[in-house]
Amino acid sequence: MTISKDKIGALIFFIFSTCYGYYAFQIPLYPGEEYEVFTSQSMPKLYAILGMGIAALALLLSVIEDLKNSQQPSTAKQAAPVFFDKKGWIQCAALIGLMLYYALTLEFLGFILSTISFLIIGYLILGERKPKTLFFASVPVVIVFWAIMTQLLGIYLSAGDLWS
Amino acid sequence: MSEGLLLGLETALSMQNILFVIFGCFVGTFIGMLPGLGPITAIALMIPITYGIDPSSGMILMAGVYYGAIFGGSTSSILINAPGVAGTVATSFDGYPMALKGQAGKALALAAYSSFCGGSIAAVFLLIAAPALASVSLSFQSPDYFALLLLGLTAIAAFSSKGSFLKSIMMTLFGLMLSTVGTDQASGVERFTFGKIDLLDGISFLLIAMSMFALSEALMSIIRKNKDQDTMKQATPEVGSLKLTKEEIKDVIPTIGRSSVLGFFVGVLPGAGATIASFLAYGMERNLASAKEKLNFGKGSLRGLAAPETANNAACSGSFVPLLTLGIPGSGTTAVMLGALMAYGIQPGPRLLIDNPEVFWSVIVSMYVGNVVLLIINLPLIPYIARALTLPKQLLTVLILFFSLIGVYLVSFNTFDIVMMAGFAVIAIGLRLLDFSMSPLILGLILGGMLEQNLRRSLTLFDGSISFMWERPITLTILILTVLVLIMPLRAAFKKDNKQGAQPQVAEL
Repeated sequence: MTISKDKIGALIFFIFSTCYGYYAFQIPLYPGEEYEVFTSQSMPKLYAILGMGIAALALLLSVIEDLKNSQQPSTAKQAAPVFFDKKGWIQCAALIGLMLYYALTLEFLGFILSTISFLIIGYLILGERKPKTLFFASVPVVIVFWAIMTQLLGIYLSAGDLWS
Repeated sequence: MSEGLLLGLETALSMQNILFVIFGCFVGTFIGMLPGLGPITAIALMIPITYGIDPSSGMILMAGVYYGAIFGGSTSSILINAPGVAGTVATSFDGYPMALKGQAGKALALAAYSSFCGGSIAAVFLLIAAPALASVSLSFQSPDYFALLLLGLTAIAAFSSKGSFLKSIMMTLFGLMLSTVGTDQASGVERFTFGKIDLLDGISFLLIAMSMFALSEALMSIIRKNKDQDTMKQATPEVGSLKLTKEEIKDVIPTIGRSSVLGFFVGVLPGAGATIASFLAYGMERNLASAKEKLNFGKGSLRGLAAPETANNAACSGSFVPLLTLGIPGSGTTAVMLGALMAYGIQPGPRLLIDNPEVFWSVIVSMYVGNVVLLIINLPLIPYIARALTLPKQLLTVLILFFSLIGVYLVSFNTFDIVMMAGFAVIAIGLRLLDFSMSPLILGLILGGMLEQNLRRSLTLFDGSISFMWERPITLTILILTVLVLIMPLRAAFKKDNKQGAQPQVAEL
């Protein structure tokens, strides 16, 4: 039996649905609500059961397909390989970390400073090294955006807890 | 109807709204041209801007972005054989060979004329069909809505272009599960909040749309080594003359007529959308062609280019019919628009025509305005807009991340939303790597609340009995349709292998 994307996906969804179902039973009910036909738990429970059922069916179909293919290996279609860039994975992880950094600093450092640093670090992560590009693709963008939001549209953007 | 049409004209043709359409078409073309970024991303990025303007203008802006993105996708299909959106994959079959022959300008012009005709003809159909359907659906009650919502949810999974039916159903269920997070509107009970105050209002659809589309598409473009991006590094071909001869125009007119009708009706079906319409139109045109003409398909046939281009734009208009009249989106893009409308406090559906006629009619009129804008402004500017294909990817990616994050933050002013976006982006990357489609998830999330409300109301109306499913003829008919839509792909899933081969990096519609 081979491990395919279909099987991994179905298995993860089965586990997720089971956990969701467990928490669906933990939803509190008001006294007497348990005698009603439709409660706050009804839909979550239904979704959990359907989720587990569909995931199990998908797993079953994948296994049947595997068995068929093992009997007729010559007719099985080979999926074309997808290429992933190792460096790209590291950059992607760094950008996700950068998003968390942005969430932490946006209200602490203020919109302007945190956004300029977010953009510059982002460009650096993706390999941009020219100081001119780093400057012109961040500082003016942020200043113009800030001016439009605060001066033109009157939307408040955090000035930063650090400075107040 | 004429009164409504005048109201729509008055709204859509105000100077402010014309500027919004022009801006929308322009931004949409720019984003749609970038491989991997489609209309959903383009519209999701526009949503925070639309919150600051009135609903009619917001919808007009989004409709402009939608058309622009489809047109932008055609441009990159023709110029560099890298379709920006799934609906323009068929365009590249004959468009790119034409560009290789040095006829890129002609191909782009034909694509623009076909899109214009397809969109305009379909806008007329919409003008007739939408009010008629809206008046019929006024007699709908909660059980009928419940059945309709079920049909919408299953149909988008059944017609899902990106792979197996079961995976789409799983994603729909995932969206439905996410819709239950937060305070239950009927009882006030907290569900799946885990004691977090930030989750009491549930997970906003904008947050999910931005994370699942804009953020994950931008991040996937970094990790996926794609041939398309290598192609992007090449110089884009010379555009050349935009002129078509009289004979060539005569040759494609019947194709445009046929494909408009086909595209519109395919677009009306919930879940079918522009991708299926464009492939069906291409197939139909090839079947209708003479043996000699058939040989030319795939090598730069004008009919082969006009058919999918006309059909995908007609389908875009068609997908607005279920959205405006029944409140059920016909595609992933219209699902995002539905979410935006609901955020305005507007409930799309039969009452839209009565409660917010200016929104209803201005969207219909703006479709026509959008097509005119695309033809007279975007087409001459294509050689310049095409330069966007050579913009450094690293700058663009980080800017997309910034606009997505700040867009969601500006609605809630809660940094916890940014943390959630990072989390959902990671989940979306995982799901994309496992070949899951994102559109059903958005649909499930948006329609989940309505589904629960209507089922609750139906059960209350029928004293807790599920007999409403067979006692009302409309409900029964829709439910039978739903079962048929469910059974057909399931049978196929049992019968044949659902595995897919390599797919080009295209965005969903």
